[in-house]
Amino acid sequence: MKHRITALGRGTLDAVDALGRAGMFLFQSSVGVPSREGWHLWLRQMHFVGVLSLAIILVSGTFIGMVLGLQGYTILVDFGAEDALGQMVALSLLRELAPVVAALLFAGRAGSALTAEIGLMKATEQLTSMEMIGVDPLRRVVAPRLWAGFVSLPLLTVGFSVVGIWGGYLVGVQWLGVFEGSYWSNMQGSVDFIADIGNGMVKSVFFALVVTWIAVFQGYDLIPTSEGISRATTRTVVYSSLAVLGLDFVLTALMFGEFG
Amino acid sequence: MKRSKMMEFGVGLFMLAGIVGLVFLGLRVSGLGTGVSGETFTLHANFANIGGLKPRSKVTLAGVRVGQVSDISLDPEWFDARVTMTLDASLEGKLPSDTAAAILTAGLLGEQYVGLSVGGAPEMLADGDVIRNTQQALVLEELIQQFVSNMARE
Amino acid sequence: MDDSSLVEVEGLHFSRGEKEIFRGVDLRVPRGKITAIMGPSGTGKTTLLKLIGGQLVPDSGRVRIDGQDVHRLSRRDLFRLRRRMGMLFQSGALFSDLSVFENVAFPLRVHTDLPEAMIRDTVLMKLESVGLRGAHRLMPSELSGGMSRRVALARAVALDPELILYDEPFVGQDPISKGVLVELISKVNQALGLTSIVVSHDIKEALSIADYVYVIADGQVMAQGTPTSLDVDRDARVSQFIHGEPDGPVPFHYPAADYFSDIMAGGARR
Repeated sequence: MKHRITALGRGTLDAVDALGRAGMFLFQSSVGVPSREGWHLWLRQMHFVGVLSLAIILVSGTFIGMVLGLQGYTILVDFGAEDALGQMVALSLLRELAPVVAALLFAGRAGSALTAEIGLMKATEQLTSMEMIGVDPLRRVVAPRLWAGFVSLPLLTVGFSVVGIWGGYLVGVQWLGVFEGSYWSNMQGSVDFIADIGNGMVKSVFFALVVTWIAVFQGYDLIPTSEGISRATTRTVVYSSLAVLGLDFVLTALMFGEFG
Repeated sequence: MKRSKMMEFGVGLFMLAGIVGLVFLGLRVSGLGTGVSGETFTLHANFANIGGLKPRSKVTLAGVRVGQVSDISLDPEWFDARVTMTLDASLEGKLPSDTAAAILTAGLLGEQYVGLSVGGAPEMLADGDVIRNTQQALVLEELIQQFVSNMARE
Repeated sequence: MDDSSLVEVEGLHFSRGEKEIFRGVDLRVPRGKITAIMGPSGTGKTTLLKLIGGQLVPDSGRVRIDGQDVHRLSRRDLFRLRRRMGMLFQSGALFSDLSVFENVAFPLRVHTDLPEAMIRDTVLMKLESVGLRGAHRLMPSELSGGMSRRVALARAVALDPELILYDEPFVGQDPISKGVLVELISKVNQALGLTSIVVSHDIKEALSIADYVYVIADGQVMAQGTPTSLDVDRDARVSQFIHGEPDGPVPFHYPAADYFSDIMAGGARR
């Protein structure tokens, strides 16, 4: 019994300690004046983190939109309300699915890669040697990746929504015969730019911060062995998925809930 | 050198696509700009019951969207709802003063909106005028109640 | 302060978690010489380099480089001091996303405003001195272990430092690359007149280039002297290490219960 309590105490202390380190880490690497060099490094990371994640995001977005179109139609047609399909597809994508699913895919595709890459740099002493040359690895290695992730995910989320709505259109209008005009006009009548698109984007900005932060911190803080890298990569995906889903509930309650 | 140029181009394209996507969402999906654009004028109307009407609900004339509800408040003098509508400026001074406003429902369960129908009076409504001739929203429960009490009376 | 020594370590204590790694280490590294720090694996030789480089902070004790207390410096001053130091890591630690040329150019680009033509000349000169000018276009992944260490050496001396720290430069190298590295380290030391600290447990190579040797074991300096004086040292621990004997004061066996009783009791105890 005494052991259990000690273990609990130590676990709590470790968690607080890790959180503190992660906070310091975020602060030290994101604060600072970007240089001309930093711009190039950021651009390079935008390519790896953003552009290369585009394919998986767009393909998944299309399929999710198509499924929404199909499922929505079969339910709505029972009430004779299939004209509301556009509204349903757009709202579920903009408010929930696009930010959340894009963030989860991003954690799997870009987040794990970031962890592994930084971890490998740590294991091969590249970070230490950078420090010895007199360059702060937080600035040079971590900051561009952090900012690239932070900018990329909201853009990817927009892409996800667009192709999702198009996927719903493809199935609903082209295939199942919903009237094209009502698909779009119902959507336009019910989607609010600030309340729906804006809030969805706010969500995605939060998710971007959390996922990239977890990914680079796990990479920077890992034990520099091959086992450590593989564990940290797994942790990145697990932690960021949990964080995204938990945060999504909190944000949804604040944005769309009664006590918002 | 060439590879990094390609990469910069790709990233630029990616950012551009994101912005274009956001514009698409704004215009095509949320209907920003397709409704009332540019010049507008406002009219007020009092309704005994607005049902599910909300700000941003559309205002139509002959089924064509001509504006939107910009504000709903309670009129403390008459205890009814005061609805403020923002309409396209091209209609300013062209709607007769006996124009009627009705709260209608799109389909059986759809959203509610304000439908205007034009009368024949010689005077026209100007900016800030009040529409007198209004028809409140149909509330399903009241309809059913009426129907049931009618049945009971017979 | 003795003017002839560049690095002075006094009463250094350092522990990691429960484990005490250094219990009062004193060292003096003379200017312009090669000093070897040797000791069995796991005695924290790499940790010592990190303490000298200011990446780790000791529990107590001081490290002074050219009179400056490394661990009292502000972050900015520490980075300025590091510009005068080069460090060669065990794995080479080349930046994997940069070419060989860019790796060597990295410290120059960061710390100087030299025009591109001058950077190019300097980099090619440094690469020529390690015999790899022809490889400047290659990526680090295309190099062998020995070659990446040579490139790392070129990078470490790119800014013409006063002090260079070598972390296990000979580990895992075939005899030819070992020979090349030995040759390079002493050549670089003489040509640039710099001070070198070589941490190693490759006795033959280390002794062949060092001017002065410290042997560290059990968190303390166990022996010191010139290579020839250590070779004839009577101390059993020193002699075991220098001559590579399998058993001695450092036992071959991990501490265990009595062999005979352990074997006999084998079945019963489980």
